[in-house]
Amino acid sequence: MGLYFLKRVALSILIVMLAVTLLFCMIHMVPGDPARILLGPRATPELIASLSAQMGLDQSLPIQIVKFFGNILRGDLGMDVITNRPVAATVFGQLPYTLWLIFTAIIFAMLIGIPLGCYSALHRNTLIDRITGVISVACITAPSFVVALYSLLIFAVTLHWFPAVGAGDKGDFWDQVSHLVLPAFAIGLSWVGYLSRLVRASMLEVMSENHIRTARAYGLSENTVVYRYALKLAVLPTVTVIGVGMGFLLSAALFTEIVFARPGIGKLIFDSITTRNYPVVMGSVLVSTILFVVSTTLSDLINAWLDPRIRASL
Amino acid sequence: MKVRPTVQTGVNQKRRQILKATGAIGVAATTGAFSEVIYAQGKKILKIRAYGDLRSLDPAFSQGVIDEEIQSCIYSKLIQYKPGREWGYDLDAAESIEQVDATHIKFKLKAGIMFTGGHGEMTAEDVKYSFERIINKDLESTNAPDWGTLREVIVDSKYEGTIVFDDAYPPAWNIAMPYIVGNIISKNAWQAAGGKVDTTTPSVSGPYTHKEWQPKQKTILARNPDWHGGDAPFDEIHIFPIDDENTAQIAFESGDIDCTRVSLGSVGNLKASPPENSTLEEYPSLFYVWVGMNVENEKMADINLRKAVQHCIDVPSIMQASYFGAASPSTGIIAPGLIGNRAKSNVPPEMNIAKAKEYLAAAGMSDGVSLTLDVLNKAANVTTAQVIQATCAEAGITLEVNLHESGAFWSLGDSSAGERYKDIQLILNRYSMAPDPSYATAWFVTSQKGIWNWERYSDPEFDRLEAAAKAETDNSKRDEMYQTMQSMMEDSGAYRFLTHEATPVIFRNTIKPAFRPDGLPLIRGFTSA
Repeated sequence: MGLYFLKRVALSILIVMLAVTLLFCMIHMVPGDPARILLGPRATPELIASLSAQMGLDQSLPIQIVKFFGNILRGDLGMDVITNRPVAATVFGQLPYTLWLIFTAIIFAMLIGIPLGCYSALHRNTLIDRITGVISVACITAPSFVVALYSLLIFAVTLHWFPAVGAGDKGDFWDQVSHLVLPAFAIGLSWVGYLSRLVRASMLEVMSENHIRTARAYGLSENTVVYRYALKLAVLPTVTVIGVGMGFLLSAALFTEIVFARPGIGKLIFDSITTRNYPVVMGSVLVSTILFVVSTTLSDLINAWLDPRIRASL
Repeated sequence: MKVRPTVQTGVNQKRRQILKATGAIGVAATTGAFSEVIYAQGKKILKIRAYGDLRSLDPAFSQGVIDEEIQSCIYSKLIQYKPGREWGYDLDAAESIEQVDATHIKFKLKAGIMFTGGHGEMTAEDVKYSFERIINKDLESTNAPDWGTLREVIVDSKYEGTIVFDDAYPPAWNIAMPYIVGNIISKNAWQAAGGKVDTTTPSVSGPYTHKEWQPKQKTILARNPDWHGGDAPFDEIHIFPIDDENTAQIAFESGDIDCTRVSLGSVGNLKASPPENSTLEEYPSLFYVWVGMNVENEKMADINLRKAVQHCIDVPSIMQASYFGAASPSTGIIAPGLIGNRAKSNVPPEMNIAKAKEYLAAAGMSDGVSLTLDVLNKAANVTTAQVIQATCAEAGITLEVNLHESGAFWSLGDSSAGERYKDIQLILNRYSMAPDPSYATAWFVTSQKGIWNWERYSDPEFDRLEAAAKAETDNSKRDEMYQTMQSMMEDSGAYRFLTHEATPVIFRNTIKPAFRPDGLPLIRGFTSA
């Protein structure tokens, strides 16, 4: 397990470096002079040149990349050229909002999706199974921004049950929770469908395996067979999917953060790209890439811990 | 006035308290109380939308309207824009102010204006420091051009001073003193802070203080108990950065904010069925939208082709399709209500296909021609481009529409960013401006070619007039000069003026808002109804 862990971490570091280098090049290939965009129409050529130098844009791309990684190793993500705050402070100030949103959405999806899938599998081919199937597919196909808009119109505008915008007052836990409900629902709904279908298929497969038949033959109760033996194995693919799903949830969070005018790393990346605030773009991209890689690595490690066959495969 | 129910704070909430609060929320929801209150957490709070997040609290580095909406609440100026439908000013920190000759403005400060943080009383020395630091080249302020020909501020006494210009600079009254660079800061506080600040401020003197900035979420201002003007109307002002107008409208309808600009597309619906207890008002905007033509492009160099395009564009159709009838055709780049606005344009707003064909024939292009139109990827722009594409086709001009995201679009005409500027043929453009005509014409002089003059229009007479009008103190002469300049632009064939758009705003009837004539909120002037 220790060797597997080391190999997986080394691979993760390599992936982060490659992804960030690729993104660095892509961002610099997009047309538009960042200094001019940032300074606005009244900036003099001297000011533009000065800001370009401050951002390191007067150097060649390879040098900029090397310097970027050098600074990362020193724990320095640079300065936000708009607000003059450290990029790390800007990024880590926004990250918790996105993490809370993603975790709440995942928890919501797991709480509904896993029992639903399990129930469907145990009542295979009944009317309830079919209805659950239709609802799950409907959830999967509903784009998160459409769900976001309709949930806003229904629950915020018409019913006034939940607030429409923002993330709630700092230090007011319940206010923050009430601001989290609709965005989490918007991005978590499709995952309810995914998880329900996945768990159903997985459960059906596990339930037909020999060890389950053996457990039943020993006279164990159905609840023990399902919840103690079958579900544990059926949930394995879900762990992997949730790990990979973090990346998709990050993109869904972007739309949701825009629609709900909610702070977060997705909105930060979007705003920074449109203003060509390169230090913030790179800082946010680095952090979200690490987040994505860490979540997939964690899901791999959990899988390896649960299933020894996976450990042997790497 | 009903009091907005609030949920107690803290994670150790008792079950009974939660149930009680939930019940209260339920009652509020069913009775519609959310839409009738401006009280929250026992405080009188104004919640208003800004279209972007705070960038700087330093007037020298303020990046436009968004920062100014906040700064104007926390700092004092000699004069402030007067709320209403006509441009004018009210005295703020100045007890009196007078243009004594073309290059001198004398002012006297009110006594007893205190800076917070123990930084003492505002004096003429603070005014001198505030204005002169912005034109100091070492500071590299992007707002320095707003002060035009400012040379210095002479301190005559503790409260009195004289603002001195190298040449006459009438825009000082319109875009300098009542706007961004007119904010007066504390010399003591700024020097102690190292000469410049970012998103915090060491001292203020306006009706509100800067309490907190929650990035990407809100800026909170709190009542300044030491304000010289008495008690500010609200305990707190919460300014929410919401860039999308539809989201802002939803936030208004759900009761989260008390005032916002709404999209032009929703004006019809809001008029037909306005949200309960709210008022919709429409203001003309200062933005100007036009189709520009690159006179140095090989194809567009022919003035007859440019004039053909001018006559192909049907402005009333664009007003209907892109602005839902909520905006009017413009006559130039200077908006109504400002010096230099023209009563009518040389080319009528309606298209004239027959005339367009005549010009095409004169250009030797009777068989038709293919052109490109570069457009920023916003909904209104795309619709406008489609309308232009359709009407141009009637005359035999085939338009290919190129969509660009904002960063790429705003560097299209930049000659220092490569050769792309040469490929511009037609471009749909939209600039913002401050309430002085010089702010509109400054971008079309020869020296702006390749910077913001993307049509690459050049006329020595235009350049001469632009410089002269900026320094002209006789308003009627100034008016005439700016009108002439717009005629020259139009006659060059390089411009087809479309609209100044409009600013529809909606607010709850529990507040009494204050807007500039162009619909921008003057937040410090908001009161409860």
